[in-house]
Amino acid sequence: MALQVQTHTIDGIDVLVIGGGIAATFAAIKAKQAGARRVVQVDKGTVGKTGNSCFAAGVIHVCFPEDDLDDRVLRLTRAQGYLAQQDLIRDHLQESHVILEELRRYGVHLVMNTDGSYRRMAGRGAYPIVQFFSTQLMDSLRKYAQSIGVEQINRLYLTDLLSRNGEVTGAVGFHQHSGDFHALRARATVLATGSTYYKSIHPGQRDCSGDGFAMAYRIGATLGGGEQNDQPANAMPARVDVGPGMNKWMGEGAYFLNSKGERFMVRYSPKLKERSGLPQIVAFFCIEARMGRAPIMMDARHFGPEQMGRLYQMLPLPQREFESVGVVQDGKFRKTVEFCPTGPTTRPGVVVDRDYASRTPRLFAAGEACPPSAVVTGLAAAATSGARAGTSAARCARDAGDPGDENGQVGELRERAFAPLARPEGLESEHVLLELQEAVIPYDVLLLREGRRMARALQRVETIRDQDLPMLGAYDLHYLRLCHEVKNLTLTAELTLKAAIERKETRNILREDYPFTDNVNWLKWIRVRQEGGEQKWWTEDIPIDTYPVAPKREAELAYLWKMARDQGVVSVKDGRIEWASE
Amino acid sequence: MGIRVIDPKLCIGCNVCVDVCPLDVIRLDSSTKKAYIKYLRECQSCFLCEVECPEDAIQVVSVHERRMVTAW
Repeated sequence: MALQVQTHTIDGIDVLVIGGGIAATFAAIKAKQAGARRVVQVDKGTVGKTGNSCFAAGVIHVCFPEDDLDDRVLRLTRAQGYLAQQDLIRDHLQESHVILEELRRYGVHLVMNTDGSYRRMAGRGAYPIVQFFSTQLMDSLRKYAQSIGVEQINRLYLTDLLSRNGEVTGAVGFHQHSGDFHALRARATVLATGSTYYKSIHPGQRDCSGDGFAMAYRIGATLGGGEQNDQPANAMPARVDVGPGMNKWMGEGAYFLNSKGERFMVRYSPKLKERSGLPQIVAFFCIEARMGRAPIMMDARHFGPEQMGRLYQMLPLPQREFESVGVVQDGKFRKTVEFCPTGPTTRPGVVVDRDYASRTPRLFAAGEACPPSAVVTGLAAAATSGARAGTSAARCARDAGDPGDENGQVGELRERAFAPLARPEGLESEHVLLELQEAVIPYDVLLLREGRRMARALQRVETIRDQDLPMLGAYDLHYLRLCHEVKNLTLTAELTLKAAIERKETRNILREDYPFTDNVNWLKWIRVRQEGGEQKWWTEDIPIDTYPVAPKREAELAYLWKMARDQGVVSVKDGRIEWASE
Repeated sequence: MGIRVIDPKLCIGCNVCVDVCPLDVIRLDSSTKKAYIKYLRECQSCFLCEVECPEDAIQVVSVHERRMVTAW
């Protein structure tokens, strides 16, 4: 494809925000409110209509002033397998109620009681949740950001960060409709590009392709290994395209059945059952599948008009999706729905401090572009981290001055960005994506782990990296974006697998060859950065002694395996898991 | 099947569906000024276009549009 495209330079940006979800939009709003004159928010789709945020399932986990803050820190820290940056978790919880009030001021509708208090109800987890009305949340936020002068550029796919003398000085990319190349020079940049599920099942994430991880990696930012997560995967309807809603369906009393018709979550998690955290749900799904008891079905056929009414109000998109395939008819669930884990969602995020500043000057990160240790999964933490990142970026823009010129980088990056267009006969991104998905999505790779299986998967990913990616071809600008996305996904998979192989223990994610949680050797974060073209890996000790919550310094059988052992499903022999059927 | 149809008789060319599609599935035809399905394979059946179309011109069905790799 012969492109007659122009290069536009946008100078004088104080804060550049990359992303269109809740973390990004909060970052943009807060940067503006903190005094940044020119705030530009760029999204590869349309702000408010991309990523996970606009499909979020109607619930937000907020810590209320009357909640026990210490207990909530403890629970989130445990949910992170003690890998949390506990100071950031506490900041998040403390600020989440403030953010909720701000959401209301910005025009977001939340479910309230008649006396004006929030109507909290049961969701997954121990504390009741607050509810909102689906896409109205992001629509309001987008409009509010515009109303205070945030400039939003849509359909601009940013391919790379600009850097000079080790500092980030903006970003470059192409417009997906015009093809024009844009160089945005900024005093401070916030990455809020979300996580990834490798474009697997579940609407609302197929544009989450690890772009931020890859952009940050290429300019030498320090990333987390990406091998751990408080949400190792989501669980979603498996054979139809139906978006997130589990928190609500389970909160309303739906349950899971295995192929024998057993309500297995009661066995593994007698207290919270289907309202358990996602590490538990995903792990027990995998164990059931490994024991030959898949498929797993969600049953909500007992929901009455009141429950269905609430679902239609809070989850109009998934309800409409269920209707379109006959699962819901005449306002009632008529069939059970097969569920399985989504693609793994471990994230090699940008390592940040309490200001959400990365270790690279002028670069900040928010939401799921950060490692799970800094930002837990969910809208509330995305919002609080975005707010902090935006405020910090505005301060940086004020104090750090102009970043200066990047010496011809733009031309080089432009050439690299458009390269697949010169090979329309090259490999289709879709084919490469399927290869990659087949390497990382099967549950026994990253959700039920074992060293040799992961090594084999890594080999496949490295083959894709070395042999397929250089041959990617694009027919037009639409396919050009897909080429870049699959490149970024491949890097995300490579980093995640390497870190997962390195972490020789079971911590919230099952590992058959290392079933113990090792609090003697593995209270560590795995880190990676690119240095002089080489990948540099290291670990950092978690400063657990300075944190309020610490586990006993011992290695013990991981609680997920204990549950399985107590059910007679597995035993431990020579330090490895043996399955009962063997 | 994902997005099935944009009814050209109902479409007023307002561009809303083009704007809201996260995956760039829909474009506006510059000569007819009507929206059309250009990149069907990317459709994730998210229903944003159907829900936001002011003329109810769009129909979506929640069936995978392309081969899906699943956990099992």
